[in-house]
Amino acid sequence: MTDQPAISVRDLTKDFRVGLRGVKLRAVDNLTLSIPRGQVYGLLGPNGCGKSTTLKIVLGLVPATSGSFTLLGHDSASPEARARIGFLPEAPYFHRFLTGRELVRYCARLSGVAADRVDAATDEALELASMTEAGNRRVGTYSKGMLQRIGLAQAVVHDPELIVLDEPTAGVDPVGSAAIGKMIQAMRQRGKTIVLCSHLLGQVEQVCDRIAVMDRGRLVLEGHIDEVLAQRGVHQISVEGLTPAARQAAEEALSRHGAHVLKVDPPRQTLEDLFRRLVTGSRD
Amino acid sequence: MFSRIFWIARVTFLEALRQRFLAFLLLLAAAFILGSVPLRSIDFGHGELKFLADLGFGALFLFGSILAVVLPSQLLYGEIDNRTALTLLAKPVGRGEFLLGKFFGSWAVLGVFTFALTALIGIILLVREPDVVARAMALQVVPPEVSVLGLFEHALLQWLRLGIIVSVALLVGSLAQTFLYTVVVGSMAVLASQLVWIAQDTLANPEAVLSTVMRGALWLTTRIFPNLQGYNIGETLVLGQSMVLPGTVSSLSLSAAVYLVVILFLACTAFRRREI
Ligand SMILES: Nc1ncnc2c1ncn2[C@@H]1O[C@H](COP(=O)(O)OP(=O)(O)OP(=O)(O)O)[C@@H](O)[C@H]1O
Ligand SMILES: [Mg+2]
Repeated sequence: MTDQPAISVRDLTKDFRVGLRGVKLRAVDNLTLSIPRGQVYGLLGPNGCGKSTTLKIVLGLVPATSGSFTLLGHDSASPEARARIGFLPEAPYFHRFLTGRELVRYCARLSGVAADRVDAATDEALELASMTEAGNRRVGTYSKGMLQRIGLAQAVVHDPELIVLDEPTAGVDPVGSAAIGKMIQAMRQRGKTIVLCSHLLGQVEQVCDRIAVMDRGRLVLEGHIDEVLAQRGVHQISVEGLTPAARQAAEEALSRHGAHVLKVDPPRQTLEDLFRRLVTGSRD
Repeated sequence: MFSRIFWIARVTFLEALRQRFLAFLLLLAAAFILGSVPLRSIDFGHGELKFLADLGFGALFLFGSILAVVLPSQLLYGEIDNRTALTLLAKPVGRGEFLLGKFFGSWAVLGVFTFALTALIGIILLVREPDVVARAMALQVVPPEVSVLGLFEHALLQWLRLGIIVSVALLVGSLAQTFLYTVVVGSMAVLASQLVWIAQDTLANPEAVLSTVMRGALWLTTRIFPNLQGYNIGETLVLGQSMVLPGTVSSLSLSAAVYLVVILFLACTAFRRREI
């Protein structure tokens, strides 16, 4: 049972009919993919390459044109499978007139959390998403980052095995994104499977175990993050106090062993690191 | 399953209550009814109660119908356009459960609407009754009598009738792609149902000269559309209780229940195939 992949997709194709004449638009093109359990899986690709569409098909929200797929080894339409997944759709939008807490409770009930567990589960989920305080405000008053976080809370309130996050960091500041990254890692440690769509490649690199890259509906790369990123035969050395003389001596020493230096320049910190050191965090 | 339908209905109900549209129509209808009270000075004599009842039930009927078409369409499209439906349907919530939740939520709102307006009409009628009865006595005619039971039965029938309209709106909404289209087609369906009695009468009239095609078309119309005009028996129920045939209310309720089940079944089937 558990050796079955969390999500398996075989020869999946999806055509949308657009416009009055019903011109076909191929959003997903013959995609075959298997997402193992217990890992963080990154689904990457440019805008419009079919990531969201693929996820929606697998979750049974949109019918496929052809191909087959399973969710935790079940048919996607089956309630058993859907009770064990949590989904955060892209650009989430929730009932504006509910408070965050009411929304999460509502989702807990719909996801089949036992009545006597609803309150505790709601509190835990709000806590995990650091929304405990803001939970008493109406969703309509939330900032984008808060919407994403309440979306995360509603996705995990029933303690699902598989969590599908479609761009959880869209519109979230770097501090908030880092917090979401931490949440993802925490959930992974608890043995969950996480599928993540994101354009924040830096973050994907940090949190994902495996990635798949799609382009125009097709799979162009799939593999373990270390394997796909490794530049074989190249190494980096960081040095402090490098004088021209020292540099020359080092290069000579290296060339005696048949190695040669490709480039020497000061490492740059990322803008993200700089930003994170400068600001304290969002006001939410 | 029932608990999920219940929770969806509850949130739908809350959402509708927190919208302005309901309050607006409720106020409009109440203003309409209250505004008719001073008009009685045109001296209707003992016909005053009938006049007030006619106007009140008319307002209930008209504004209720508008609300019953617009509200469910708006609630359904609101969820689909805002993509909240996506979040809900990714949970172990069936499409049918979702639609039924929308139905019961909207229907509960119409219940509030119907019973609130009925209470208002009832209060006005009961307040005016002694005066009108005294005048009728003075003229030595049989005084009208306001039946509270009749008021209640009438509210129930109206609520059922509005329930049928809500289910029709949801059926159209499951098939159509836009809110405007749903409201227009839904209103036309309601209008047709309101006029079905004409077709029924024509068919039943032995003197009517009809071609076979015409007869067939009329027959089909009476089979497809519920006769919603049949539920408008408020005046008789409330002011002339004795004239209502026994069993009228229960048979009307029963046929409403049958229509509700059939239309909701069709709506759920259509909604399952819909792309959202
Ligand atoms: N309901 C729809 N009707 C018609 N075309 C659609 C529909 N949904 C998506 N598409 C098209 O399918 C393609 C894939 O869209 P999708 O949302 O899956 O992209 P994505 O990879 O998630 O992109 P992004 O990174 O911008 O979120 C796009 O060209 C889009 O225009
Ligand atoms: Mg997307």
